[in-house]
Amino acid sequence: MKRYRTKGNLIFDGIVYLIMILVLLTCLVPFIYMFALSLSDPKAIVNNQVSLFPVGFNFEAYKQIFTYPNFFKAYGNTIFYTIVGTIISLAMTTLFAYPLSKGFLKGHKFVMKLVVFSMFFSGGLIPNYLMISNLHLTGTRWAMLLPFAINQFNLIILINFFKSLPVEIEEAAFIDGLSYFGVLTKIVVPLSKAALATVGLYTAVFFWNDWFNGLIYLDTSQFPVMLFLRNIVNGTTMVGDAAGSADKATIGISIKSAVIITSTLPIIILYPFLQKYFVKGLTVGSVKG
Amino acid sequence: MDLRKKQNEDVNVIKRRSPLQKHLRRYWQLYAMMILPIIYFIVFKYLPMFGNVLAFRRYRPGMGPFGTEWVGFKYFKMFLKDPAFWRAFRNTLTISLMNLIINFPIPIIFAILLNEVRRLRFKKLVQTVSYMPRFISTVVVIAILGELLSPSTGLLNIFLQNVFGMEPIYFMNEPEYFRWLYVLTDTWQFTGWTAIIYLAAITGINSDLFEAAQIDGANRFQQIINVTIPSILPTIMVMLILNVGHMLSLGFEKVLLMYTPSNSQVSDIIDTLVYRTGLANQNYSYATAIGLFSGIIGVILVTSSNSLSKKLTGDGIY
Repeated sequence: MKRYRTKGNLIFDGIVYLIMILVLLTCLVPFIYMFALSLSDPKAIVNNQVSLFPVGFNFEAYKQIFTYPNFFKAYGNTIFYTIVGTIISLAMTTLFAYPLSKGFLKGHKFVMKLVVFSMFFSGGLIPNYLMISNLHLTGTRWAMLLPFAINQFNLIILINFFKSLPVEIEEAAFIDGLSYFGVLTKIVVPLSKAALATVGLYTAVFFWNDWFNGLIYLDTSQFPVMLFLRNIVNGTTMVGDAAGSADKATIGISIKSAVIITSTLPIIILYPFLQKYFVKGLTVGSVKG
Repeated sequence: MDLRKKQNEDVNVIKRRSPLQKHLRRYWQLYAMMILPIIYFIVFKYLPMFGNVLAFRRYRPGMGPFGTEWVGFKYFKMFLKDPAFWRAFRNTLTISLMNLIINFPIPIIFAILLNEVRRLRFKKLVQTVSYMPRFISTVVVIAILGELLSPSTGLLNIFLQNVFGMEPIYFMNEPEYFRWLYVLTDTWQFTGWTAIIYLAAITGINSDLFEAAQIDGANRFQQIINVTIPSILPTIMVMLILNVGHMLSLGFEKVLLMYTPSNSQVSDIIDTLVYRTGLANQNYSYATAIGLFSGIIGVILVTSSNSLSKKLTGDGIY
């Protein structure tokens, strides 16, 4: 490699590293800025003293948001939607993917075609909305869960993964007297932990981040935390007036940032540990059918 | 293959049953597993799809989601004469085109440059951090954007004021910035994620090619131009075609979050128009007609671009 340490290549390297450091900063600075705002003294924020480090370090904003019953409620709701939604979705997707990974079933091709077609063409906003309100799901928590039980991309990832499992293991299980349900729960699912983790993570992130369906289907007490945040941002919900302070807007900024941080924290914290599963879906399940 | 053999043995044992009965007897559990998912697909995917007939029927509250009587193309004629529709149509096209032109090449460049990083730990770090924004909620992205760009306390305006002595700019409200903000937040959120596909393609390049180029005296930049880019050109082509296919499916939720009355001239896209006429004003049939129209254009774009991709490169996504 030594002889490539020419002047030109060194400059090239320098530029590459510079760009990469810029990319790193661009990705991280918004979060660092939010941290700084949420931990700063509101007065320092109005005086434009806060950039990337907290000024007048304090936890006031966090203490404040933990006194809002609505915030707690919304946070709890989101945790509920994420856990229950992911469990339903994993169960339903697995139940569908396993039979669909068996090419010999009758109607297999037809069902696959219908699944793929529904990726191209969907009911659209209004027909979906009318269907869900006609099923009387509006105003119930089910409206956040049931309509999203199966995502076609995740389904295809799982189908491809199940197809790649060696048939011999299943055959051995049949000789041991297991039925197909037994094979699925005792053999296939334990072997597919990595793929299920990937699909489960995508699903969990979807439910954690969802707000729009909450907006059109739910009552205020059922709102997820992202919708709570959106309502703070666009002024539907007022924050910062709990202290009875004169300048609501300024306290609002640090509180808003605290809500942003707390509602994103689970993803930011879990991300480094789970990121290998996040990427797997793109490589394992390279979508083909 | 053993399964087949077993099946044949069974044929000898139970001769009286028809092949279909035997098939069902053996595999009924697999069919049973599909019952719930198929009901799900019918109720939540296919019934709403048929619900699109509402575009041709009059809706009466409480009379079911499929409308009450046929009105033909009435709603289509209505929206084709509606300037608000054409404005939304133009806005959708403009933002999509801008998005394609800017956000198609950036992940390719990023992937190529990232691949040139020789320190593996640093490379891994940049890559991991770069696709994290993909998993952040759009609400959070727009909320952070709002704080960064706030005219009174935002980091960017403070910077512009201190360094260039500029007056604060209301980035989130003024229409001329809307498209750029839409496109650049997409850059921020999805560059790293999209680059994974190109990185995989680059990793697949035969290293002999680079060695040969080095022996011929090519420097790093020349290697990129003459080896890397030609080698990943098929991937680039497939991605381009698919991107064109999905061009019109803009991030509706993001636009809705960024929408303010003052930027509506440029920020009202077809999806937000459907949302406002349908859900806010409850003109269900009219909104369904607009949604159906753009949905059909979308299907045509996706399927034709996909078959084009298959024809040209033998590779499509579906």
